[in-house]
Amino acid sequence: MSNDDIRVLTAQLAADPSSLVFLPLGEALRRRGQLGAAEKIAMAGLMRYPELADAHDLLARVLGDRGELERAFDEWDIALRLDGRHAGAHKGIGFLYFVAGDLAQALEHLEAAHAADPKADGVAAAVARVREALDTESGRAGVADAGRPVSEAAAKPVSPSPLPDGPSVAGAAIFAGLEGAQDGLLLLDGSGLRLGGGLTAPDGRAVGDAVAAHLAGVFRDASRATRLLSLGAWTSVAAETADANLFLCAPTPDSLLLLVRDSSVPIGRLALQAERASEAARRWLERPA
Amino acid sequence: MKTDIVGSLESVTRVRGVRGAMVVSAEEGLVVAESSMEGIDGAAVAALTAGVVAKLGRATEAAGRTTPAFVHLQAEGGALLAVPAPGDLLVVAVTDAEVNVGLVRLELRHAAEHLA
Amino acid sequence: MRVIEPWVAEPLQRFLSESSARLVLLTTSSGQVVAQHGFTRALDVMSASALGAAIMASTEELGRLTASGASRALSHQGGTRGLFLSAFDLPHGRWIGLVVYDRDSSLGLVRLFFDRLVQELLAAAPPVGPAREVLAADFEHELNASLRSLFGR
Repeated sequence: MSNDDIRVLTAQLAADPSSLVFLPLGEALRRRGQLGAAEKIAMAGLMRYPELADAHDLLARVLGDRGELERAFDEWDIALRLDGRHAGAHKGIGFLYFVAGDLAQALEHLEAAHAADPKADGVAAAVARVREALDTESGRAGVADAGRPVSEAAAKPVSPSPLPDGPSVAGAAIFAGLEGAQDGLLLLDGSGLRLGGGLTAPDGRAVGDAVAAHLAGVFRDASRATRLLSLGAWTSVAAETADANLFLCAPTPDSLLLLVRDSSVPIGRLALQAERASEAARRWLERPA
Repeated sequence: MKTDIVGSLESVTRVRGVRGAMVVSAEEGLVVAESSMEGIDGAAVAALTAGVVAKLGRATEAAGRTTPAFVHLQAEGGALLAVPAPGDLLVVAVTDAEVNVGLVRLELRHAAEHLA
Repeated sequence: MRVIEPWVAEPLQRFLSESSARLVLLTTSSGQVVAQHGFTRALDVMSASALGAAIMASTEELGRLTASGASRALSHQGGTRGLFLSAFDLPHGRWIGLVVYDRDSSLGLVRLFFDRLVQELLAAAPPVGPAREVLAADFEHELNASLRSLFGR
């Protein structure tokens, strides 16, 4: 889109702020890399049209370009709740799952995107690529699915949840799309066994299992302390170290969630991130066996 | 010295929502000094808070991080906040559920500095 | 955990669970074992009970000599473990508790939950029966029976 086109759209939006022209304008600014301006346009449009799936999709794409994948996931999630067949949202979430390594969920969403908009740019190729990756992962050659026409994919709305089984993919899959899905988010059971997520020490060592074992003791002591001091049930433990902030909460009575972030991330923000991660953990824990 | 310690703790207990404050020996979980702990079992607070902080310290150590400089245990009916102080001590506050955590943390840190 | 007196079991189990103590020995002030947890050899139990009784008797005597009053509790911190020794009175007489703990616990926690243990034992203790004369043969028989019970044999 040329500068002139953008000027025209901008003028239209200025003349009528309630116009839906904010959608193509925001997209044009995003494609030009003007992400700050694109986000402002998207946010302004969302204030007027909070129920418009396209508006959430636009904001999600801008956030995705800025690397704010967790917020992008949230916006696409909202878009799908508003319109279960929204091609853009399925495509975006499919991409996030692919990045997180959850190929099965990625395929499901990409197929839904293709079914909703067969002409969507690049989706058919993405579907084929993910199928190939899945086939390689499972070690099967000439899998029956590879020949299945994409258009036969279920047209019914696909929710971003539930998350898949299996310890081999649970690590990233539980928190797919969330910030820290690969490192800095740890889910464990009450006995101190890691259920998912991962944690790396500053020197690069994987320390998730060791930390999980220690956290069981923290869980027990925190519960005991608040019980014996008549403070009610404990809800969270937050801690600041010289180089990190930590937040511990219990998504379910028998599980614990730990978030670890650099000390530049305020603990208040960790609490918000913990809420989202807890939701993801609950969905995974409560999925049917 | 004890008067100074108690004086430092009083600046913590002056924060609205703080029910009591104390200095605790971190390793033994025993009370060193306390302020305004009416209706609160000081020995229990000392022992139980020191226990949580110690276990959390072992978890952060396992994560390759330094020991906590601030710990906030939040419960439905109140909270425990703790800050380490020189001499293997902890400055601990017991608070209501709704309290200005930032302000309490600030006062706990001031109290800990006075113990140096 | 092994107990001679069944009413001791529940309070002691709660103490073990809350305090995370590694070793616990409850004896009478004369060294007769009432309950134990964590000891693996009868010889260690007998030695510890005798030493615990002797230490409490010595500190009480020291307290009398120095007019500082009888000491009810002692603690000792080793390199990796701590030791807590305390006397307390039940209707049956004076008992002694010996607790050994490590990094999973602390002196403060042991003291906190030991105080609760004493209160629970006081509440659970059955009425005291008439005193009976203890013969040397009876004593040895009872000691052996106690040790068998404490070690599940």
